[in-house]
Amino acid sequence: MTAITKKGTVCWRCHAPHSGGHFCAACGKIQPLARGTDYFAFFGLPQKLWLDCAELEKLFHQLSWKLHPDNFVRAGEYERELSLERSSQLNDAYRALRDPVARVEYLLAHAGMRKEGAAKQQAPPELLEEVFELNESLDELRTARASSTDDSHLASLKQHLEAEERKLETKLREVDEELKRIATEWDAAFDAGADQSQRKALMSRMNDVLNRRSYIRNLVANVQKELAEA
Amino acid sequence: MAYSDKVVDHYNNPRNVGSLDKNDPNVGTGLVGAPECGDVMKLQMKVNPQTQVIEEAKFKTFGCGSAIASSSLATEWVKGKTVEEALAIKNTEIVKELSLPPVKIHCSVLAEDAIKAALNDWKKKQASAAEQPAAAAQQ
Repeated sequence: MTAITKKGTVCWRCHAPHSGGHFCAACGKIQPLARGTDYFAFFGLPQKLWLDCAELEKLFHQLSWKLHPDNFVRAGEYERELSLERSSQLNDAYRALRDPVARVEYLLAHAGMRKEGAAKQQAPPELLEEVFELNESLDELRTARASSTDDSHLASLKQHLEAEERKLETKLREVDEELKRIATEWDAAFDAGADQSQRKALMSRMNDVLNRRSYIRNLVANVQKELAEA
Repeated sequence: MAYSDKVVDHYNNPRNVGSLDKNDPNVGTGLVGAPECGDVMKLQMKVNPQTQVIEEAKFKTFGCGSAIASSSLATEWVKGKTVEEALAIKNTEIVKELSLPPVKIHCSVLAEDAIKAALNDWKKKQASAAEQPAAAAQQ
């Protein structure tokens, strides 16, 4: 991004005070993005995790219509550039916010609280046991497929894995419910004006849930892939 | 990404693949995993209670080549070492030996964690066996 100004500066065109919106309140010219503007602020929303998706879609359509480069074909080069930049940011912002899980991912990433691959992130032990057994079943399935002598064995392995897949899907739903519960806590904390440490604690819990979620999702994807080939 | 020759060697000819009886009081089992990539690693060691020497080590790992190589190397290294010596193995030594790139360092961390988890499991078993000598003798 090239065109960034500090929040609370003046309009580049008419020099009227400008507080970070998309357009100057005085002259109506498109403005560069204020530094530190997050995707929530982009839509004029607070950093809360519950979002009315219909409302968000409406805001998205309104903004994409206002920021669209077609509106700026006869404007100066700087304005055309800003319109392009803002339009692409709008698409990114919409993609990040419309899905509840992506929204949490974004909130944490923006705050520097999304941590993957760190040494101390261990999967929960009760899950590991299952994962190990699941992988062994997958191995067995691959071997049975390669030899393809015993059809009934292959069929029973497939059945077993299909049952495992359903269990994982249930787990995934549980994880999503958990994420939703913490998101509700986050919104309540936001409204109550929670301090930095409370926010960080909530974000770190959400980060753990997101990691568990991606772990289970990878497993589901693996099982589905093997079953599709079997 | 290109794997180092040593990783490829361990990947193609993994050492000590298999399992030991996890109910054996002299066998410690460590099961660890990395949530971000779905790797799971099981490391088992059989310790001589008199000498504290690790006599046998087996592993089974589901994961990328670096994870397999790290755990294969770990079993090679712990064999013949005492429990204390094995606990002193650092992931950085594995990184060095296998020339792991930065993105694969977590595989070596996993292997170190697996050694520690297995030996902790063994220690727990020894402690509970010491608490109930009569019960152990009856078995």
